[in-house]
Amino acid sequence: MSMDRRSFIKVTAITGTSAALASCGNPENQLIRFVPDEDIIPGQAVWKPSVCPLCAAGCGLTVRVMDADADVTRNGQVGVVRIAAAKKLEGQPSHPVNQGKLCARGQSAIQVTYHPDRITQPLKRSGTRGDGRYDAISWDDALSELVGRLDALAAAGNQKGLALVARPGASHRRALVDQFLARFGAPGAVTFELFGDDVLRQANGLSFGRQQLPTVDLPNARYLLSFGADFLGTWNSPVAHAVGYGRFRQGRPGVRGRFVQVESRMSQTGANADEWVPVTPGTEGVLALGIAHVIVTANLRTAADAGRAGALVDGWAGGLSAYAPEAVQKITGVDARRIERIAREFAATGPAVAIIAGPPLAHTNGLFNALAVNALNALVGSVGQPGGLFFTPQRDLAPAGSGAAQPATSLSALASGMLAGAESPVQVLLVDGANPIFTSPPAWRVREAIEKIPYIASFSSFLDETSGMADLILPDHSFLESWVDASPESGSMVASVSVAPAVMRPLYQTRAMPDVLLDVSRRLARPVAPPLPQTYEEALQTSMAGLPATQPDLGDAWAAAQAQGYWSGTLPAGMQAPAAAPAPRGPVAMTAPEFDGDAGQYPFHFLPYPSPAFLDGSLAHLPWLQEMPDPLTSAMWSQWVEINPATAARLGIGDGDVVEVASAHGRVRAPAVITPGIAPDIVAMPVGQGHRMFTRYASGRGENPVGVLAPVTEATTGALAWAATRVSITRAGDPDGRLILFAGGIREHVEHAR
Amino acid sequence: MVCLAAYAGSVGCRVFDPRPEPATAAAPALPGQPTGVFTSERPTYAAVVNDFFGRRPIGEQPIEFPHDVHIKNNVACEMCHEGVATGPVAGLPSVRTCMICHEAIATDRPRIQQITALRDKGLDLQWSRVYGYVGEAHVRFNHAPHIRRKVECATCHGDLSQQTVAQRNVDLDMGFCVNCHNENKAPVDCLTCHF
Repeated sequence: MSMDRRSFIKVTAITGTSAALASCGNPENQLIRFVPDEDIIPGQAVWKPSVCPLCAAGCGLTVRVMDADADVTRNGQVGVVRIAAAKKLEGQPSHPVNQGKLCARGQSAIQVTYHPDRITQPLKRSGTRGDGRYDAISWDDALSELVGRLDALAAAGNQKGLALVARPGASHRRALVDQFLARFGAPGAVTFELFGDDVLRQANGLSFGRQQLPTVDLPNARYLLSFGADFLGTWNSPVAHAVGYGRFRQGRPGVRGRFVQVESRMSQTGANADEWVPVTPGTEGVLALGIAHVIVTANLRTAADAGRAGALVDGWAGGLSAYAPEAVQKITGVDARRIERIAREFAATGPAVAIIAGPPLAHTNGLFNALAVNALNALVGSVGQPGGLFFTPQRDLAPAGSGAAQPATSLSALASGMLAGAESPVQVLLVDGANPIFTSPPAWRVREAIEKIPYIASFSSFLDETSGMADLILPDHSFLESWVDASPESGSMVASVSVAPAVMRPLYQTRAMPDVLLDVSRRLARPVAPPLPQTYEEALQTSMAGLPATQPDLGDAWAAAQAQGYWSGTLPAGMQAPAAAPAPRGPVAMTAPEFDGDAGQYPFHFLPYPSPAFLDGSLAHLPWLQEMPDPLTSAMWSQWVEINPATAARLGIGDGDVVEVASAHGRVRAPAVITPGIAPDIVAMPVGQGHRMFTRYASGRGENPVGVLAPVTEATTGALAWAATRVSITRAGDPDGRLILFAGGIREHVEHAR
Repeated sequence: MVCLAAYAGSVGCRVFDPRPEPATAAAPALPGQPTGVFTSERPTYAAVVNDFFGRRPIGEQPIEFPHDVHIKNNVACEMCHEGVATGPVAGLPSVRTCMICHEAIATDRPRIQQITALRDKGLDLQWSRVYGYVGEAHVRFNHAPHIRRKVECATCHGDLSQQTVAQRNVDLDMGFCVNCHNENKAPVDCLTCHF
């Protein structure tokens, strides 16, 4: 029998009274207490700097550290010991990216360290792959085992048989991993992110010569036109955007920036906009060129103002004659008069800036959409100007003479290579924080490919779908227990490097992943040459030593980093990552987006989107995020499908009914949420739930929408076009109680029934 | 029991239960992971019930610590309760604090030899707190401002020079606090203590 909180209290009040009278003695006396390792003044909080590791934004943290009792086992005895424990995370007030603010995900990052299902010691697989059964193993034995495997590869001259999968994002840690791989002779790390931004990076490389994500100067902008970018929720550097957005709207007396959001499903960001413009999926670039057409035709700007970015769009020099508002209306579904009005506002209300991200880039014509928006920005002169787009100077993280790693392959190419022959070309796989089995479309057959690898070692702190396949688990410290660093790609105007030491001692027998790799590099029968740094800390220190001191009161860059958790300032000339020289290419012509699946059999566009709580699912193990109501639907602990009311009425689907979403590649079931914030021919699902194995909080909760995605890619860049799948939807059953809404729904229903 | 079950049923056990279906539940616990529901904070059923009702029994102390002897030898309170002047909590000393002096002093006494042996085994003294508020009281007491105002320790904790192990012989209820605050013209806003 399950019981809610209210009835539990009532029952306990009756039964507990007698128990309380009977219970005496002092149970604490049965405890063993160990001598603490450090002197801690009780009740006094110390705030220490750290870096949020949950996404690539690289926000600075300040961590409240206080005394606490921790359960530990020493010499086989279970007891408690007083430790200095991290208790609360806040934004670092002076950090150039997040400026003292922190998102809900960052606030929840504290739960990574204290998670009850965290892996506490090295493990060796005892069951079959994927069943989650492991035996304890000592660090020495575990390292010898891994070293033995790598030695065998080297002895056979097959160094290329080592592969490492990781999450993308620049950091010293990644640079160190790449150096290890390069010196061992293995290919570079394979990175994959479902909602990655590679298309936009490549477009920016072509248009502006900077292959990176832009930083938007929101505080100085007066008009923002966003094409699908959920910049306040999940895209790029959401905290930096939210801070800038506050100033954009309310930071200047008498000036309230105007914000128009173009997208086909209303996101958290779209819900904040002054104007929400639904558009036919994949035609966002056409709309941008329609706006540019009006601006050029009305002589508000001349086509030549757009320079190189304009020249990359087919028909730009001719004034975009094919993109008259009436023609654009036919393609995009946006009213011609509305296009005309937005265009005139956009040209007249300077500084105006346009951004693009998310679904518009996840079509087969994603690069065209991005280039069109880039050209629109260049047309109104918003690149590199106050209130426009900037590119944060990037620190070159690869030390001189480190030797470039051999180029990495893509995840899909790696998987198909492994499946092609009888024997997998990858003999040893290292997994660092990535979960490609969960986040890749089923047609890539990543799971089958990984099953073929003879030996897998994971550095994960949790068992997930990919780490559950590992033969050996070498658990990493949590970010609060070790050095942590990130190199923000965007979010601030000045260059910054986030670096911070551990804020507390490790709770368990874990080791920092970079230190484990360095240890392995020395234990090899033929140690890597030239030798790598002794420790991760030493590598960080060497790298930071080159940076100029920007805050004299804090000392040099290394001391400043330890005191405040970051360095920021102007990079000396030799230290900037070189801007990629754009490959000369002709204009890109408009292409219609292509979708997987027959429009008759699969009449709906399927739009998976990063969950505001879990991003791509990597945070579904944190219970605070599970219980955080979704900003738009108020759903928590659950998975759902968003459907337009007209569509739902036509198909006989009611709120909460179980719906089956099917594509040519797979099917998932989830409860329906009927919402007007979505176009009638689109169904949307948040990605993040549906883990088969990912701690007690995420396992077995809903089904993974990535399972219906077609392996369609963006035509030029080869990035996964995750918004290019067509699906059918059918009503599969009555509400099954799995959709839990914070507002309305089950709570009110229960109260009402009483 | 039947009545209870019927009662529980009638109050609405159609419930919010976020657990996933058992068929797909998580894998067995891994080696080294904590199991069970008890924590060091509440290690037994009795502790859970006491905690629920806000009962705080004074437990037995691990050794009969002689406060009187230490005070007679002019050991100041803050030598061992070292957080008292700087923070909210005075703190109960770890065996390391004892050994600062007792590495050299009174090493021939059996009780000192007992704690030295304990320390050598890596074990600490499990003191039982005598004063303090339960969570439900929503009181946040801070020692430091009281020490700055030169409130005697004995005002709230009794005359420790007459006690071995500390006894709870001052009842720190709200009346006690408010009286003293009024007499000393200290603020009596709710938010002074309840925040």
